[in-house]
Formats: sequence, C-alpha cells, structure tokens
Amino acid sequence: MNTTSSISSLKAVASPPLFISTFRPTVKSLRNPKFPSRFSPKRIRCMQDSNINLNFGSKSNPNPSSSHEFSVSFATVSSLEAEEALLTTTTTTSSADKLRLLVTEFRSLTEPIDRVKRLLNYATVLAPLDDSARVPANRVTGCTTQVWLEIKKDELGRMRFKADSDSEISKGFCSCLIWILDGAKPEEVMGVRSEDLSEMNVGVHGKAQSRVNTWHNVLMSMQKRTLPFFDGDDDDVAHREEDRRLVQHRQEHDLLFNYVNGRRRSYMESSDYSVSLLPLDYDFTI
Amino acid sequence: MEGVAMKLPSFKSLAPNAISFAVGHRSFTRVRRSFSLSVCSVASSSATIAADSEPVSLGRRARKDFRILHQEVNGSKLVYLDSAATSQKPAAVLDALQNYYEFYNSNVHRGIHYLSAKATDEFELARKKVARFINASDSREIVFTRNATEAINLVAYSWGLSNLKPGDEVILTVAEHHSCIVPWQIVSQKTGAVLKFVTLNEDEVPDMDMLREMLSQKTKLVAVHHVSNVLASSLPIEDIVVWAHDVGAKVLVDACQSVPHMVVDVQKLNADFLVASSHKMCGPTGIGFLYGKSDLLHEMPPFLGGGEMISDVFLDHSTYAEPPSRFEAGTPAIGEAIALGAACDYLSGIGMPKIHEYEVELSKYLYEKLSSLPDVRIYGPRPSESVCRAALCSFNVEGLHPTDLATFLDQQHGVAIRSGHHCAQPLHRYLGVNASARASLYFYNTKEEVDSFIVALADTVSFFNSFK
Ligand SMILES: Cc1ncc(COP(=O)(O)O)c(C=O)c1O
Repeated sequence: MNTTSSISSLKAVASPPLFISTFRPTVKSLRNPKFPSRFSPKRIRCMQDSNINLNFGSKSNPNPSSSHEFSVSFATVSSLEAEEALLTTTTTTSSADKLRLLVTEFRSLTEPIDRVKRLLNYATVLAPLDDSARVPANRVTGCTTQVWLEIKKDELGRMRFKADSDSEISKGFCSCLIWILDGAKPEEVMGVRSEDLSEMNVGVHGKAQSRVNTWHNVLMSMQKRTLPFFDGDDDDVAHREEDRRLVQHRQEHDLLFNYVNGRRRSYMESSDYSVSLLPLDYDFTI
Repeated sequence: MEGVAMKLPSFKSLAPNAISFAVGHRSFTRVRRSFSLSVCSVASSSATIAADSEPVSLGRRARKDFRILHQEVNGSKLVYLDSAATSQKPAAVLDALQNYYEFYNSNVHRGIHYLSAKATDEFELARKKVARFINASDSREIVFTRNATEAINLVAYSWGLSNLKPGDEVILTVAEHHSCIVPWQIVSQKTGAVLKFVTLNEDEVPDMDMLREMLSQKTKLVAVHHVSNVLASSLPIEDIVVWAHDVGAKVLVDACQSVPHMVVDVQKLNADFLVASSHKMCGPTGIGFLYGKSDLLHEMPPFLGGGEMISDVFLDHSTYAEPPSRFEAGTPAIGEAIALGAACDYLSGIGMPKIHEYEVELSKYLYEKLSSLPDVRIYGPRPSESVCRAALCSFNVEGLHPTDLATFLDQQHGVAIRSGHHCAQPLHRYLGVNASARASLYFYNTKEEVDSFIVALADTVSFFNSFK
C-alpha cells in the first residue's frame, strides 16, 4: 500500500485551515463517552479519546503508540502555515487525491463509533452558512435530515460550496464533501463517483445509493447544481489525472455524462428529487 | 385494561433498572433455559428471565419463531424496534412461502393441471383466512393488492373517480400516512372534490368534535387511520362510521397499524372499506388487501386492466369479472398471498386479544421509561385509564436530530429505530418539527429490550451532548 507515502507528501494539505483556527480542544470535546460493552450494567464513563485526530484525510490509528507521524506534525502546523499550504497546493491537489485521503482515513477507523466521532469533529469545523442561504431552493432533498447547500462559482472558475444541516452527522458529511470539493473545477466535481464515498459510510450499510444516504444525496446535489457550470469537456482532467482507477472508469463516466448531457434540459428543469432517478444512483459494475 | 395489567407478569419489581442486574441474570438464564424453551443457542445469550414463579412473557415465547431477532448487529445484540415500518416474519410464514415455491408453484385460476389447481385452492384459502381474520362475512370482499397503499389507490381511482363530483368533500386527518393523503389529492384534482383535514386537539389526537362538525351532506367520504403510526392514538371508528353514514358518506379505514396488533372486526366497525399491508402483520412484502362491502365493490369499475379481471374480451369492449377478480388484474403475488394466510394463522394461533393485551403492557412500559428520560418529548396522547396507546413512541430529544440518534443507536447499540417523518409530513409540520425518532414494538419484543433501548438512548444522548 502506498497510501502512507501519498499521505505524507500531502500532509500539509490534508488539514484545512478552518479546523486549525476554529478547533478548541476543550476538555469537554475531548471527553467523549466511552461506551459500555453491549448490555453491560456499567454507567457511561468518560474517557479521553485517543482517537481524536482532527485532520481531514489523515490516517488515524486507534493505537496511539503507533500513530503516524503526520498526525502529530499536523497539530503543530499553525493556521497560517496550513492556510498557505492549502492555498499553494490546492492547485496541484485534485479532489480525487483528497477523496482518497479521506477514504483512507475513514477506512482506518474500524470502530463505527470512531467514524461517528470523526464526523462529529468535522461537523464542528464546517464553515457557517448564512441564514439567507437556508432557502428551499438550497435544500438537498432525499435526506432524512435537513441539509442546505449553497453553490457558487468563483472568479477563477472554481466551485465554492457551503452547507449546513440540522443533524450533526450530516454536517460532518457536508464538512468532508466540502473539504474535498470546495475550490474544485466543475469537471472535478462531476468526476466524483458516489461509490467512492461508500467506504466512508457511517450509519448506512451496504450500497451507497440508499435513499437515506446523506453522502450520496449531498454529492448528487453538488453535481446536479454544478452541471450548468460544466461545459462537458473533461479531457484535460483525464490527462492530468494520473489515477489509474479514474481512467479505468472513464468510459463509465462518459456514459453518465452523455446521459446527463443528453437530457440536460429536462434534467435541469426538473426538481431536485429527480436526482435520485439518475443512473448515477446505480452501481452497474458487476 | 386494569385487569389486563394484573394478569400479566410484572417485571417492575425485577427490572426497575436493567443496568443493575444484567450480569446476575445471565447466569440465571442458563439454569432456566434447560427446561423452558428450545431457543436456539444465539438466543440464549440474550435472555434474561423472570423469576420461576412468573410466567414467561409472550414476547419471550414468541421470539423462538423469529430467527432474525437472534443476531448481533454492529457487535451488539439486535434490538428491533421498527415493527411499525415492517414486522419480522415467523418461521411458519417463511415455510409457507418456501413450500409454495418448492412444491406447487403454478399460476392460479388458469390451468387445469394439478399444480395450478392446488395453487388456486391455497390462494383462495388465503383469501378466506384474511376474511376470517378481520371477520368479513364473505371472502369475496377481500381484494388482494400489493400493499395498503395500492388498496387505497384502488378505492381512490375506482370508487373516487366515479363517485366524486366538484364540491364534494373528502374528510381526512392531518395525521394520515402519505398513502392516505396523496391518492385523494390526485383524485380531488381530477374531480374537483375538496379535501378537508381534521387537526389535533389539546391531547394531541385528531379532534373528533371537529370531524363531526365537518360532516355535512357534501361529505362523500371519510378516509382515516385506525391507529396512528406516529401518535400511537386510535380513532373511534365505530362512531365515525355512524356519523358518516348519517350524512350518506362512506368510510375508508387505514388499518395498517391496527390489524397486526388487535382484533379488528369489519362487521362490528361497519366500515365501507378497510385496508392493511401484509408485511406489517408477520406476512411477506408484496401483498396487502382491501376489504370492501360487497355492494360497493360490485358497483365499482376496474382499477387496472388485463388478464384475470375480465370475463369476456372483445376488440371494442370487455365485460368485467365479478369482484374480487375485477380488481386483481394480472398474475397476483400467489406465494405471498398464501404466506399472508399463514401469517393470519400464526397470529390467530397466539390469539389477537392476547397479543393486544401484551402490547398494551409493553406500550405502558415503553412510555413510562422513555418519558422518564430528561429532555424527551413524546408525541401523541398521554396514556391513562381511558387512553390506551399503541406500542410505539415517536419522540424527539431536545437539541438532537433524530437521525443522529438513530444512527448512533444502530451503530453503537444494535438498536433499530426509525427516524424521519414516517411518511406523515403534514403531521410533523403540524407538530412543528421536521422529523422524529420512533421506537415501535410488536409482540415479539420484551420489556428487557425496552430497558436496553432506554439505556442505549441515554448513552447516545450523552455522547452527542459531549460534542456540544
Ligand atoms: C398508518 C399507515 N398507513 C399506510 C401505510 C402504508 O403501507 P404500505 O407502504 O405497506 O402500503 C403505513 C406504513 O407505513 C402506515 O403505517
């Protein structure tokens, strides 16, 4: 596995500035309840969570003694440094890289509770959404929670996302997705596959296309609303993108894009709900 | 109700708090198991059992029939509290389904060969079983549908489109399931009929005074739930039918949450239509039924066209078969209908009064325990001498999203509850919330599971609060 090396090389980017500048390691936030084993009569005890490792895309290790160096070094990166690092490297770090990092991070959390904790921690660093953006048009439908998503394209032609939810776990999902896709080019946004997120699932088992899957729904909404900004020419992405897997799936992507583009008008006219009817919903791989 | 509570074993003295005695119990279980039930080995690890003098609860006894309940999910013993969404299926039902496909799978009402005749007999026997289960006088009053939703749509499209005119009124409550709102919206758009909604009174149950006041000569139909899947309240259907018939209106009862849990007697209720879904009453998915009074069904045009529902087809017209075939176009869910029949047998074998009695007890216990937790708001009426709630609680915990609760309960504690609007968005809007969590029980649940749920919920709440 070469994930470790790729992570180390990207470690500076792996931590969004927001987190470092806003996270307050208060006693309270570190005192996560440790869970009584199944039906044990023990009262909830509060224990320090050795797992807290608030670095997006960093590989955490439940065993602190063997924790990866980068997670330590992160904590010492100043917000300014991190911000600079982020600014200088976002141009070279693709969403696909970030996604891979995050998947690796979540995959390393074998205990479901650790994934939940991680999400909740990420929820706390999600940039606030203006009240004015909490309008029905920004609602992500299909989730069992309320999620609002604001999408803009900046002057550099990059997609900017902001989100909020009434659910902390959903906020965590949004926080991760925004970390992956905020500042990405439209074609990068369109290139993320829902299945890629399934590794990070918290709370939804099995396939990624469950109608209650927030990862999926938020991503679909991001993609649907990025589509008008997307000219459909993703050739340069494929050339720049070294990821073999992505190339492998290019054909599939093209199929999806053709489908989406072929129906662009009716697709865009229809309500958000129709997103769930897109074939993007389904995993055709055998 | 009082007497019921006396007869049933009280766990209160034994289980004031599941936390304090779980360990001791486990060892006790082993002794007891040797002579009580032939529970499969997985089950035994979970069992906590009443004192020797106490009879074993219905829940405890029934569990042996549900293998699915004896498993671990996410490393915890499964506590399934989502039966209002769908119930689990006992071995007898699964066997009936397997048996059909293994030994006599064949199309019904068509072939003259042995298997087809056998399948037809069993299919029609299942119809009789359903009829008996709800005390219909004739099995021809039972129309098999895919589920309750399809049954309501059948009435809406067939009866509604041919009987409703502009200005006619259909009375519903704000607490209806979407499946008993949307078909009427569609039909009202097509016919110009007006939908009127009864709201809740101060006890948080649909206001029956308001319903009475709404009734007029314009009212053509009252379509209401029997037991609410969110509020756990039940409506006085017998009275509603009398009031509605007084103004010449028909009554459709959505009995999805009552038929599985209590004796439902369509003759006693005297309702015109009644619908339910098999999957909520221990039967398979893909099958449900409509009960309709014979004379009404006879007057109704078909809902779907195709095979099975006609008597003669000419190129320009067809003559329709008699009900119920008229409404069963195409090959039905044969094995599923037969297995629904087996579910009726299974439930009747235990006895619906007994199931109801036990669930009343469970319901009280659940409400009592859940309302003892801080910052918990339970929707629907408070239980009392006169108010008997169904064995479910929809609730919210102050400051926490129900989906977060449900996610954590599942992942960390193996407790399955539902979160969302439970297909009752208008009701949630009326209650001023977007979503709620819901724990719903069936006769295979136990007080110990309620205890586990409460401990798990308290734990979940403190987990999330620690992040605030
Ligand atoms: C009260 C009520 N009505 C109708 C339905 C719809 O049942 P089905 O989805 O099986 O058609 C349900 C199921 O959730 C229900 O609880």
